[in-house]
Amino acid sequence: MRSHCLDNSFQPSPRGCNAAMLSFLSLLFFNLLITFTAAGQDYYERLLLRPLPQSALLASFNFRSNESSASFDQQNFRYFPRSLGQILQHARTKELHLRFSLGRWDAESWGQRPWDGAREGGTGVELWAWLEAQSEEEAFSRWLTLTNALSGLFCASLNFIDATKTIRPVMSFQPEGDHHNSSNLHLLHGTLPHEVVCTENLTPFLKLLPCKGKAGVSSLLDGHKLFDASWQTMSIDVRPVCGKDGADCVLEMEQSVDMVLDIDRSRRPRDNPIPRPLPIEEIACDTSKHYNAEDTCYPLHKSAEPGWNLTEIFGRPLKGACPLTDGDGEGANTVCINTPPERIIQANTTGQYLETWIASDTVRCYKLPTGSDFDLNLPEQEMTTGLILATPPLFAARSINGHGQERGSIQAIIRNPSATDAVEFVYLESLPWFMKPYLHTLRARVDTTSTNPIQETYYRPAVDRARGTHLELRMLIPASSTLTLTYDFEKAILRYTEYPPDANRGFDVAPAVLKLLSSQSSLGDNKGVYLRTTSLLLPLPTPDFSMPYNVIILTSTVMALGFGNIFNLLVRRFVGAEEVMALGAGGLRGVVAARVAAMRTRLLGR
Amino acid sequence: MPIDQQKALLFGAAAAVRLLLFTAFPSLPNLLTGRVEISTPVTSFKRLQEGVFLYTHNVSPYDGGVFHQAPLLLPLFSLLPNPAYYPFATNLLYTIVDLLGANALMHIAESGQSATPRLFKSSRKELRWSSIAIGAGFLFNPFTITTCIARPTSALTNLFILLAMAKASQGAGSTFVLALSVASYLAMHPILLFPPLLVLCYDVRATKSKSAPNPLAFTAFHVLSLVVALGGLLYLSALLTGSWEFLGATYGVRLLLPDLTPNVGLWWYFFTEMFDSFREFFLGVFWLHVVSYVPGLTIRLRKQPLFVAVTLTGIFAVFTPYPSIADGTLYLSLVPLFRHLFPLMRYTFLASSTILYASFIGPAFYYLWIYAGSGNANFFYAITLVWSLGLSVIVGDSLYAALRDELDVERPELRGKEVKRI
Repeated sequence: MRSHCLDNSFQPSPRGCNAAMLSFLSLLFFNLLITFTAAGQDYYERLLLRPLPQSALLASFNFRSNESSASFDQQNFRYFPRSLGQILQHARTKELHLRFSLGRWDAESWGQRPWDGAREGGTGVELWAWLEAQSEEEAFSRWLTLTNALSGLFCASLNFIDATKTIRPVMSFQPEGDHHNSSNLHLLHGTLPHEVVCTENLTPFLKLLPCKGKAGVSSLLDGHKLFDASWQTMSIDVRPVCGKDGADCVLEMEQSVDMVLDIDRSRRPRDNPIPRPLPIEEIACDTSKHYNAEDTCYPLHKSAEPGWNLTEIFGRPLKGACPLTDGDGEGANTVCINTPPERIIQANTTGQYLETWIASDTVRCYKLPTGSDFDLNLPEQEMTTGLILATPPLFAARSINGHGQERGSIQAIIRNPSATDAVEFVYLESLPWFMKPYLHTLRARVDTTSTNPIQETYYRPAVDRARGTHLELRMLIPASSTLTLTYDFEKAILRYTEYPPDANRGFDVAPAVLKLLSSQSSLGDNKGVYLRTTSLLLPLPTPDFSMPYNVIILTSTVMALGFGNIFNLLVRRFVGAEEVMALGAGGLRGVVAARVAAMRTRLLGR
Repeated sequence: MPIDQQKALLFGAAAAVRLLLFTAFPSLPNLLTGRVEISTPVTSFKRLQEGVFLYTHNVSPYDGGVFHQAPLLLPLFSLLPNPAYYPFATNLLYTIVDLLGANALMHIAESGQSATPRLFKSSRKELRWSSIAIGAGFLFNPFTITTCIARPTSALTNLFILLAMAKASQGAGSTFVLALSVASYLAMHPILLFPPLLVLCYDVRATKSKSAPNPLAFTAFHVLSLVVALGGLLYLSALLTGSWEFLGATYGVRLLLPDLTPNVGLWWYFFTEMFDSFREFFLGVFWLHVVSYVPGLTIRLRKQPLFVAVTLTGIFAVFTPYPSIADGTLYLSLVPLFRHLFPLMRYTFLASSTILYASFIGPAFYYLWIYAGSGNANFFYAITLVWSLGLSVIVGDSLYAALRDELDVERPELRGKEVKRI
């Protein structure tokens, strides 16, 4: 047990091992706390900070507001934003999940994803929703209504989610809410991997919150820092939640922002953002190196945790509590930080605040003062204990193999780190139509056994300009094995008007989504455990954009040469060359001579 | 050596070359299958494999953008063992297809319809190659061999076109209609060969029987049997796939060109660069252009129907939406039937060097565009223009020679003299 613990702790220290193990367990417990506290409240918000290795910091913002179904149906909105509520009512959307994401979660060094990946999206924008409709056509037209309305609301290109980017997943997504009041639900899923998420998406996101970023933990959200993060994902989830007997339904809207900040990068001042080398006097040098001298230095690795405070990291101060949160109890502790107990944390505020230590002292929560700024200051500190990061149930990476712009192959490598448990999961690919996979080349191998890991396949091939490829595979990966999935694809050449202005950059391919079936979510609810690969960049062959006229002219010339030559032969008669001379009538000369003669008679005749 | 022995030797050698290439270079078939010059979206063997895979896994292959080939190929190829593991059966099938094609070509040569049809006796009719030589020209043409190794379904289309021609030149009406309907079913455009081949069939029938059959009744009967045969094939396909959606995915794709994968023809780059509002107009114009040759040639060269059919295959190799070198090789193998026209052709050197030039530079320029990145699409496009130009020069030049040959019979006094067209 001890050795296992050491392997996983990111700052291995024998003394801290027990404490670290403890903190891992308590983390799970803490997650449970977050999930269940909100049930009775109308508005709830929380910020959880967790330092990660390599001076990274995970900040998870979570906002939740409830509206009873009855008042929602009467358009009586309190905490639920009216703008979004009316869109959902108009498009008959019963459950909505919207994601804006950037960057890559580095599972190798950061461990398990926040919310088990259930509140995370693929790079760009991802949207899926359950709509009520009588037929597939009606569902699709409502889906278009929804995407167009959301596009306006969030200033994103969601209106570009058309039929070619929409799929209907069969195994990968399950509704999170209680839907026994609705029938004929249709699940539609669309992705925009090319979408660049930026501040214009954050502003409408904040406006949906009751405190609108003016107070509470949302006052820390600043576009400059959020979109500068190593990884960030903003999510909006709307689902109906009912009591045990199916009554007392509420519509729950959950907004969350998860970001991984690089502490060093975030602390750079905004007016001087370029990293510059420190003066040599300020660097701790490794004097054991033989080349160490006054002007040469091998910097020593800093073992101390970097010092930081909230204002510095987020670029703005935390402006006190949002008055709509509960005044006391669990919901009042809106800022929590998950560190080893020995870490020194100083709260800076002029108002009244309350500090609570929970989960074996590994989580400290603060009840914010109302009306005055609040800051947490963590000085630089040499640590003896560290947090254990939970190992993710699977590691997944996907890449394009091959060279040239004609064809290639996709390779997905999925690794199961567990030494004991096999993992069953669903692998979902949603490919653009101009990438044509060959399913007969699909191969899946596991390095430890020779059995085929694919248990079930759902495949809907792409149709040119009408529909993208939809592939779902249910697979089983044995313990401590690596699964390699490959298939070939061909790249289509598009019409020249179908290329974007930066055609030679390539096209983005949406990330693959992995849903784990066997392992239950550690949060204990029906959100599921998800994993997403990174998006891919697919270079397509390009025509020459500068010469449509030239091509039209040249091709037409060749066709005219063929046509002219052949029909010239077909419609004319052959005569001997001498006969033409004798007749004097054939050819251009004869015609001209006749014309001239006729003209002369007319002129002279007058 | 007796003719049968020669034939056996020729076929044995051709089969040996093919099977040797298949076995000695196991990666060669897949390499050639990937070449755009040989495999087009409507004939590619890899797409056929995908279609068969989907068909055997109960997914409709026509509900997708990959498979655009005729439905009856699916049960045929699903009967063969998987070519990824046991390629021999497929290799043997394609070798046999080539041999049958050569056999049909030799029957055409033996029928003598090229130089001495019913209404016309060429003044140079003694100038001809033996059927063995013509068969060898087909079987050992490097284009034919590469086509066979790459296994596109255009090899099957070529076989049925050759069979239709052979049966028509033997006067076997029903088998000619059947072969032509299969060819049209596979590739659509061979139906345009029906008028000249019907005239050929009528001529042969008239030569063989004492009294010429009634032209109207003859035409009506054969048109009707073509409709019945094609209808039967299409109905069988619909029964097989369970719906009529294969029509859009096969013939619709050939008509409307949604897949712009490069090939040796003129259409793909033209419609890549075409302005959206004119796309439908030019699709119509291009198809009308292809069809316009049929009545023109058939009427003008009424006396030489086989020549019309052969010239049309040459036109298909240039002006259809998805041509490949398989179409070119069919035409180039049929041209030697008209050995008697060679002395009258004026641009043989130019045409043959253009074809050679295009076949060597084409793959190089494609590489520069797609793999090296040092060239752009215009490189390959320019070469397809040269290839098309070369083929259309042969078509035009042989047409000139055929007309000149007719003139020599009509007016023997002009033989060897310079002529003009007025």
